Amino acid sequence: MISEAERTDSGACRVSLAEFEGPLDLLLYLIRRDEMDITLVMVSQVARQYLEYVRNALELNIDLAGEYLVMAATLTRMKSGSLLPSRSGAPEDQDDPGKALLRQLILYRAFREAAAELRESEGAWRDVFTPPGERERFQEGARREEAGREAGSIMDLLEALEALAKKDQPPTPRIIERPALSITECIQGLSSALPGGGRVSFRTVLGENRDRRRVVAFFVTVLELIRRGWVRCRQESSFGGITLERTKEWA
Amino acid sequence: MGMTLDRLAREVEALLMASEKPLSVEHLCELTGAGTEAIEQAVSRVENALSRGGHAMQVVFLAGGYRLVTDPELGGVVSRLFEGRRPGRLTRAALETLAVVAYSQPCTRARVEAVRGVNCDSAMKTLLEREFIVIAGRMETPGRPLLYSTTPAFLEYFGLGALEHLPRLDEIGKLLALGADDLERAAGEIQEEEYENP
Repeated sequence: MISEAERTDSGACRVSLAEFEGPLDLLLYLIRRDEMDITLVMVSQVARQYLEYVRNALELNIDLAGEYLVMAATLTRMKSGSLLPSRSGAPEDQDDPGKALLRQLILYRAFREAAAELRESEGAWRDVFTPPGERERFQEGARREEAGREAGSIMDLLEALEALAKKDQPPTPRIIERPALSITECIQGLSSALPGGGRVSFRTVLGENRDRRRVVAFFVTVLELIRRGWVRCRQESSFGGITLERTKEWA
Repeated sequence: MGMTLDRLAREVEALLMASEKPLSVEHLCELTGAGTEAIEQAVSRVENALSRGGHAMQVVFLAGGYRLVTDPELGGVVSRLFEGRRPGRLTRAALETLAVVAYSQPCTRARVEAVRGVNCDSAMKTLLEREFIVIAGRMETPGRPLLYSTTPAFLEYFGLGALEHLPRLDEIGKLLALGADDLERAAGEIQEEEYENP
């Protein structure tokens, strides 16, 4: 049983909350029965203490992790739930916050203890050292480059200098060609190939000249005309021929 | 047995000395051309020679292979060699997080958080940085959360020969099988807070 002194020892709560690894850790600390099975009764016995810890922390404006409040809500729900008779027919495990919490506590405690054992192994193996092998000289893959770079030879310096010198030079001018065809020109071309109410295939519009830029220019033009509602287009199958039809909107 | 080691044992010793990671029996077979049994025997001849000669080195089985290590008794003096350069010991948060990943791998961060009941962001980050865990893929559920598993570096750090040598393996295995439903449900509640790096 928990002694009365511990129950009211709220002074200790104030200093120690930061030492816990979250609400489950705090609950386990309050239960303090490491060697025994944790029971629902034990959880509900310490629920009040838990809530007191959280209340104290809030009063002192301690930046409390949200998880502590979620747990407080769960515990409150458990307490109120235990006052009500359980609905018959309802699957107990599914909805019972107490049982879920119990399992969580049991599982967490097991991991906490495993972690404690790992800590011991860590301590023991910190005094053990292994040969570094040839890791400096024979790194695999990308790491080799890194290591080489770290070492830094005179060649690396020269390369870096050269790269800097290149950066300082004005960029070589590039000639950007004007597109061979403007959209306006394409619309004129389409207009003459496509009399009012008539239909024509995209291939016919392009004619013999299948220069890529010309194809793209005409294609973009067709998209523009579709957007304006001046042409309708049809394509029977993927990658098949496209048939264009002039609408009344294209005056 | 004589004072000098035979050729194969010397080869094994040299390989263990030069290797940066544990060498499995298969790997040693491959490198020396000897059979499994011959290697096992050669390893124990090296072990004997080291201990009989009062050497500061031992052969141990770590992370699936043999590794030459210094005697823990000499930890103090060797530590001085690396003063200020060694990463510190893991925090409790990191150790607990690592334990959950180790026993439930591959597992999501939401799963770890469901077990520990707290956010595990920074602990996961530390473990990734120290290469004790790695991203092992994605879970094929909505949101495709990342899956994590432990590395050989993890086993080496804790002096474990294999994952099967983890403490409390049976106990935790049983618990994990038992509380699966509830754990998943708890995981679902926490998952909402999880975000992922693109």
